[in-house]
Amino acid sequence: MKSRRNPAGEHGSDRLLLDMAVRLRWLCGALGLGLAVVLGAYWYHQIVRAERYERLAENNRLRVLRLDAPRGPIHDRSGRILVENTPTFRLMIDRSRSADLGASLALAAEILGRDERELRSALERHRGVPREVPVLLAEDLELNQVARFEVSVPEHREFEIATSRRRLYRHSFQTAHLVGYLGEPTPAEHARDDSLAAGDLIGRSGVELLRDRALRGTHGERTVVIDSLGRLMPVEDVRRIDAAPGESVVLTIDLRLQQLAESLLADKAGAIVALDPRDGAVRAMVSSPSFDPNAFAGGLSQEEWESIVDAPGKPLQNRAIQNVYPPGSVFKIATAAAILASGPIDPEETVYCGGATRLYDRRWRCWQPRGHGRVDLRAALQHSCDIYFYRQAVRIGIERIAAAARRLGLGGRTGIELPGENAGLVPDPQWSRDRRGYPWYPGETVSVAIGQGPLLTSPLQVAVMTAAVANGGLLVRPHVLEGGGAPPAPTGLAPAVVSFVAEALANVVANGTGASARTPVVAVAGKTGTAQVVAQETWTRSEDLPPDQADHAWFTSWAPVEAPELVVVVFVEHGGRGSEAAAPLAGRLHEEYFGDSGET
Amino acid sequence: MIPARPDPWPLVRRVRSVSWLLGSSALALSAIGLIVISSASAELDAGHVSRQSAWIALGLLAMAAAAAVDYALLLRYAFWIYLAAVAAVAAVTFFGHEAGGARSWIGIGGFGGQPSDFCKIATVLLLARYVAEAQAPVAPRGWLVAASALVAVPVALIAMQPDMGGAMMFVPMLVAMALVAGVRRRSVLMAAAAAALIAGGIWIFALQDYQKERLSSFFRPDADPLGSGYQVRQSRIAVGSGQMLGKGYGEGTQSNLQFLPTPHTDFAFAVLAEEYGFAGVTVVLGLFALYLWNGARVAFAARDPAGVLLVTGLLAFIAGHVLYNTAMVVGLLPITGIPLPFLSYGGSFMLFCCAATGLMIGLDARRFVNV
Repeated sequence: MKSRRNPAGEHGSDRLLLDMAVRLRWLCGALGLGLAVVLGAYWYHQIVRAERYERLAENNRLRVLRLDAPRGPIHDRSGRILVENTPTFRLMIDRSRSADLGASLALAAEILGRDERELRSALERHRGVPREVPVLLAEDLELNQVARFEVSVPEHREFEIATSRRRLYRHSFQTAHLVGYLGEPTPAEHARDDSLAAGDLIGRSGVELLRDRALRGTHGERTVVIDSLGRLMPVEDVRRIDAAPGESVVLTIDLRLQQLAESLLADKAGAIVALDPRDGAVRAMVSSPSFDPNAFAGGLSQEEWESIVDAPGKPLQNRAIQNVYPPGSVFKIATAAAILASGPIDPEETVYCGGATRLYDRRWRCWQPRGHGRVDLRAALQHSCDIYFYRQAVRIGIERIAAAARRLGLGGRTGIELPGENAGLVPDPQWSRDRRGYPWYPGETVSVAIGQGPLLTSPLQVAVMTAAVANGGLLVRPHVLEGGGAPPAPTGLAPAVVSFVAEALANVVANGTGASARTPVVAVAGKTGTAQVVAQETWTRSEDLPPDQADHAWFTSWAPVEAPELVVVVFVEHGGRGSEAAAPLAGRLHEEYFGDSGET
Repeated sequence: MIPARPDPWPLVRRVRSVSWLLGSSALALSAIGLIVISSASAELDAGHVSRQSAWIALGLLAMAAAAAVDYALLLRYAFWIYLAAVAAVAAVTFFGHEAGGARSWIGIGGFGGQPSDFCKIATVLLLARYVAEAQAPVAPRGWLVAASALVAVPVALIAMQPDMGGAMMFVPMLVAMALVAGVRRRSVLMAAAAAALIAGGIWIFALQDYQKERLSSFFRPDADPLGSGYQVRQSRIAVGSGQMLGKGYGEGTQSNLQFLPTPHTDFAFAVLAEEYGFAGVTVVLGLFALYLWNGARVAFAARDPAGVLLVTGLLAFIAGHVLYNTAMVVGLLPITGIPLPFLSYGGSFMLFCCAATGLMIGLDARRFVNV
């Protein structure tokens, strides 16, 4: 206070003001420097690194949502739906957003009413998927469960409900092997195909596998704006590429025939194949026991999968094409063709059948212990006389029989589109040396002549062989896709040979072993077969064998006899006599097909 | 000299370009703030813009009032003003209601206000008077310690609210006033040592866990992008993606989609940087530079040490907020609740800034009066 009134102080105050002004200028300089540093920082981030931040801002606000392409439907030849899609809700989880995965799973288990371990193992399957990619946790949520998850979203942003479509197999068991089923891609498949997203299913067998690419379609993309909580903003999509739905697939199958065939094999193991002998279009293909492909449409747990794979009777196997069996007397069609084609043997020449004969120091029995008396080739086919074929086979030799069998399509894949076809086996001495490592026994020729021995055929191969006889000697390429297949190729067998066998087979049904396949609706031609499963030293009636050693029953047929339209092969595993267990079923199928064909 | 006819506006006639520049830059910044708040609060309730407009109007009144009052009068009663302000802060610290985890608000008829903003002016006034008196003719021993103690009381109270950012802003004020008044080199070193000790003490005893986390996350923002580093990261993205000219009014995705925290208050400058780009940043920082330089020119023209120190203290407060806030938004400094003068939404801080501007304008108009 003193200084105010003191002149000296007045002077001192001026001095002080001057000094303070200088120091304030320094401070202003420092402040200017500070502002320059800040401005430099903005320049660095807004100009130098602008692109990086622009990208980060876009990543923040944009999310790419996938637009699933609906998988294409599958129809039968008349357009009836075999497989389609049905809407479903799925629970997805974004593991990177979960604060405590255990708690998230516990909540999900509580809402879903499922076991927490089950969800944990569902999660295990997505181990290789990056954490921030949402993965499938559960399928087929009910509406009230969906509502509960929506309510929990503020605290549990890891959960997402995805609406999706589930594959619906309208005729589950009836078309299972044909249309196949879906499965989750393996991590390796995910890596190979970047169009696959979590939760996608791909074709694993049958037509679903065969036409997987076309059925899948092409998924689309929606780029949307989200806020910091991940909520969708009500603005127009930034970018949208619509999904291209999967193509529909039309099969050559006749659903009604297929359904009847499946019901005929209920409670039995076996297969039925029906095809058009003119072009090889498959009208029915059934394997029993069957499975429900709908079970696969939601993704299966390991236990569920194993329970289906290991179920008694191995239901996943398609017995029509994947399994091979001794054909039994059905093979006499090929042996007969070999005898006719060989030249020296006159079909009118007879052989005496007394119920048994002696060849190569062994006793060979006919299935008819009383014997057939004197039989020529026509009668031998009609009554399925074994002795005739034993003796003639020895005369013409295994090579001629094998050659005729191969010309008729046995011993090699038929070329059907379905995956996993088994080529079967037509044995000959060269095969014996190369594959078995020991020489051909002459006695084996005798066995092969009646469809036993190492000989193995699939039901489909038998159908192709029968079609060649029915259509005048053309080998068809069987196919299940409408417009598939290939023009039939000549077998190389003389027309006279083929027509002789065809006439004889018409006789088999008219008044031979195939009589039980007769139907008033249409004239049927065919051949029975009863294949021994185990070699027997002493003759035992098939009915008296234990079930797993009982004979396989075969019947192959076509109709109408004169202008063939349908080949039907019935195979019943351990079914007993072909004439009793298989032929009646074939008759029913022909009756169904030709009975009111106008309505199919 | 023959006295002329009585002049009814003696003060107004002495208002020169310095004051006009000071006032108009403050007004321009407030107007820009209004635009930013209107864009940033589009997702919030619509009242923010009208309320901020009301605060700006009140601020202009406060500016006029502060300019009209003789600062010598304020200096004379500085101690009592200081005491009242500290009491108000203490009342809020111990009895105020909580907002965002800190007790710093008092409700005044629907408008929230922080007494700590009022306390800033009060402390500068008392400090200006005390330090100015202590300089004449020779500084007494220990005046710096006494001055620090005067500052320490409100700082401690505000820190207890806890509002670390608000408390911290007193430090540049004290440092600037002491430096301008003149201190010996030894004092500077001792003060630095003391500051280091105090900072260590605060870290160990006074900081809440969330505050420590925010500080440590500053040094490694990408370690936990969804946790406490989130704000730094999102703010930088907002700034960087603004590029040269910005995304335009209302087009800032970072602010409108709520990736930015508190876009209308502490991160208003991030919204500006996103929507108006480096150009907008340069204009606003330029306006602040203009404001601060004209404030400094008031100090250069002042005829008494207390006036120089008063202006220095007020400018230091405002400059401290500007520097810290803009540096924090671009990620140069840890995030803490420090608003940007004139631009950020908020009533009492706007009143403080306007009142400080008014004091400087009034001081400049009286540059010949109080000699």
